[in-house]
Amino acid sequence: MNSEQTNLLQGTLDLVILKALALEEMHGLGISHRIGQITKGTFKVKPGSLFPALHRMEEAGWLTSVWGESANNRRAKYYQLTKAGRRQLEAETKRWGRISLAIARALEAS
Amino acid sequence: MPMLSPLISFSRRLLCRQQVEKELDDEVRSHLALLTEQNVEEGMTSQEAVRAAKIELGGIEQVKEEIRAVRTGAWLDTLLQDTRYSIRMLTKAPAVTLIIVLTLALGIGANNAIFGIVNAFLLRPLPVRDPEQITVLAIQQRDSPIGSSGFAYPEFVDFRKQAETFSSIFAIVMNTVQMSSKGDADQCFANYVSRDFFGALGVTPSAGRLFLPDEGETLGEPLIAVLGYSYWQRRFHGDASVVGTQIKINSKTATIIGVVQRRFQGMYSIAETDVYLPLSAISIDESPNVFWNNRDRRGLLVFGRLAPGVGLRQAQNSLDVIAGRLAEQYPATDKWFTVRAVPEKLARPIPYANRAFVAISGLFLLLAVFVLLLACMNVENIMLVRGTARQREMAILAALGAGRARLIRRMLTESIVLAILGGIAGMILGAWVDHLASSLRLRTIPLHVDATFDWRLFAFGIGCALATGIIVGLLPALRASAADVNSILQESGQRNSAGVNAISLRHFLVVAQVAGSLTLLVAAGLFLRSLQKVQTLRLGFDPNHVLNVIVDPHEVGYDESRTTAFYREIESRVRALPGVESASVASYVPMGGYPSTASIFIQGRITPPGQQAPLVLFNRIDPPYFQTMQVTLLRGRNFLDSDDGTAPAVAIINQTMASSFWPHEDPIGKRFRMRSDTAPLLEVVGVTSDGKYGTVNEDAQAFFYVPIAQNFVSKRALQIRTLVPPESLATSVEQQISELAPDLSVVDIETMRQSLEGALGFFAFRMAAIFAGVIGMVGLILAVVGVYGVVSFSASQRTREIGIRLALGATSRDILHLVWKQGVRLVIIGVIVGTIAAWCLTRAMAHVFAGVSTNDPLTYITVAILMSGVGLVACWIPARRAMLVNPMVALRYE
Repeated sequence: MNSEQTNLLQGTLDLVILKALALEEMHGLGISHRIGQITKGTFKVKPGSLFPALHRMEEAGWLTSVWGESANNRRAKYYQLTKAGRRQLEAETKRWGRISLAIARALEAS
Repeated sequence: MPMLSPLISFSRRLLCRQQVEKELDDEVRSHLALLTEQNVEEGMTSQEAVRAAKIELGGIEQVKEEIRAVRTGAWLDTLLQDTRYSIRMLTKAPAVTLIIVLTLALGIGANNAIFGIVNAFLLRPLPVRDPEQITVLAIQQRDSPIGSSGFAYPEFVDFRKQAETFSSIFAIVMNTVQMSSKGDADQCFANYVSRDFFGALGVTPSAGRLFLPDEGETLGEPLIAVLGYSYWQRRFHGDASVVGTQIKINSKTATIIGVVQRRFQGMYSIAETDVYLPLSAISIDESPNVFWNNRDRRGLLVFGRLAPGVGLRQAQNSLDVIAGRLAEQYPATDKWFTVRAVPEKLARPIPYANRAFVAISGLFLLLAVFVLLLACMNVENIMLVRGTARQREMAILAALGAGRARLIRRMLTESIVLAILGGIAGMILGAWVDHLASSLRLRTIPLHVDATFDWRLFAFGIGCALATGIIVGLLPALRASAADVNSILQESGQRNSAGVNAISLRHFLVVAQVAGSLTLLVAAGLFLRSLQKVQTLRLGFDPNHVLNVIVDPHEVGYDESRTTAFYREIESRVRALPGVESASVASYVPMGGYPSTASIFIQGRITPPGQQAPLVLFNRIDPPYFQTMQVTLLRGRNFLDSDDGTAPAVAIINQTMASSFWPHEDPIGKRFRMRSDTAPLLEVVGVTSDGKYGTVNEDAQAFFYVPIAQNFVSKRALQIRTLVPPESLATSVEQQISELAPDLSVVDIETMRQSLEGALGFFAFRMAAIFAGVIGMVGLILAVVGVYGVVSFSASQRTREIGIRLALGATSRDILHLVWKQGVRLVIIGVIVGTIAAWCLTRAMAHVFAGVSTNDPLTYITVAILMSGVGLVACWIPARRAMLVNPMVALRYE
């Protein structure tokens, strides 16, 4: 992960994780795969960033977690969105839409 | 729910720590397993898969630590963890821990002891209802300092009637009285209080009752008394049945009606009032009419309680209006002053502001801070040494995922835990010192230190401890945490030699310690010299070989003629005792109490309107007085036995009085009046040399003597000049008194030298010298320990070098020089820096050192020699040990 990616991540990591979990519950590795998938490989989240973020969001009440079994019968911790998490996703999405629009316009303006 | 979840997660972590930790571990490990599995699926060999997964993860412990750090209350988690860890580390090296804690306890204890006294005198609020409303009303005369005189009774009444911004205004007059109960008599510090004194303050009784709102100012009402709490405990052992019993106050029968609440000690923060009496019972040596009606008999200390919601400024305005009104109404007496409302706390330690005390408190606090700094430097040094030794431990922690901030926090937690332990020990030490100070009792002034431990002292102690912890811990923490992990771990147990920075830091500490300790010693030396100086001041009389015996025959009902006859008889009996040179009586003993004062009206001179007649101190004596006290009569004649009630009134004045009232004139034969301009004239018949009358360090002031035969007073001091040690005569004099008047008790018997050790004599100087001396010694010990520690540590660091030098043919003398020279250089630099610092510091404080120049060469030279001598020895001992190093052992070392 180069520094460009890091900087990008800091502002948007939460949003990307929420988005990744919007469809179904997932374990950590699943989330990082999914993020790679939906961002077409632009974001590659390492465990050192992913897990602190998951725990922080769980404490904020956006996620809950349960222990479950993976496809290969391995014990893994699955995360899923709460109601508050969905609201947060909506709000963040709107905010992000506004920001990216504004930035795009600003860059076109010159 | 979202608000609650961090809290739930936090408390869960606190309560089921192990389970939470296990889940955390499981989660990270399962992730690793999933990663590995995926790698295998992608076609790696299992070994490659594990390796790649580990690289991807970046270390199980590091990830766990990062997760812990984002959780709510992570700091508290860390704090608890660090504290536990610190305690474990400290108990692993109990000797070092003990030394550090004791060192800090000395420093913090010194601060807490001095702050305890400052707190009791200056900071603690009066234990009354809404203490912030209490103000002192102080009269400010034109061209003289605030509060240099009190209120006259009629003025006080005018203010009480008219000041609507105060919910009450009350007054006290302080005095000493003789209280006797069941034949035992003693001197008490009494407050005569106006009516509503207790009501206005909101003080409650701890036994019986207090004065009612209408008791206190009606002449002729029965005499009642309220006891101070400590006096009640001391004299009556806290016996509640004393309420309702009769005692004698200055030979008048009084009934004890109650005891004030515990901890209320009167309006003085440094003294405790023994007994409260109604103002109507005031004992004064002039006609009561003057006290109650004259507007220039000013003796009342007046206080007010601000009405609720009234500010100081508003109150001041209303006082100004009243003062203006009174000035118009009574131009002769009331035109020359304004009345200022001063919050009670700012008017301490005695109700009329005395800034000198504040300055001295400040100086002593500063000295105590110096002691603490010296203690800090010692501890800092130990921590630096340990920090070097512990770099390895820090490196391991860093390898396990602790960031630099985390390492600094861990080290700081450790030093703060140490400092808090030191702080607790210091608070105990300080409380003990204050307890000692509070048990000091003086005969003339009921000095009282309320050493009760309160939140202010606690906050101060903890504040000291935290500051100390950060000061001593920060630098070693920064150094230890900055070390490079790889190089340290690879050194594998090799002793890390201290870098250049650490050495120069330690050298700096030595210089600072020597300098700081020297400053303390200079301050202590100056206080000592100041005591020495006041002891050799010209007192104007010879205090050696004099015995003072104070009696009051009025107490056993003697009238004026019987009293006079009693004194004549006892004087002649005492003169007949072997070893007695002369005997005389006087109404007061210099520096042993408060002399009487009288306003003086010079014949043929009119006091200009708007000015008050000058107040002058005087003493009543009999003819042999000057011989007994060895006061020099410069001009004119002594009093004669014929100067009695039937002869014309005469007076003898001192030089200052002569030169200030009759400059360039011959004062002999001049006349003046005392107290009022209609009183009989006194003729000046003699002039004596100047002396000290009220306090030992006062400036020369006007003073006069009148014959006691013309100015009767019942309570007198019988003063005896002896050829033998004066105390050896005490029993035979007491025996003579009890033969002559069996019922009469001796109020006080002590030598003039003992009396001079009292509050108005050398007491304050001696206390200052003792306190400063103790602080100086503590500082010296800390500095010696510090210098010794640094030099011996650096010598031990150089053991290998010394071994090589010895092996190459250096003599042991060379080694002694090598090690010693380094220490000596530092000590000398310290002495020079300290001398300069002490000079600057004491110059700023010059006014507290009575009678000594702050450049006093003797002090500086003595202290510099002492400091260098002790410092050199502290360096020499480790140097000598280094000299004895066996080269073979030294080279095998490590």
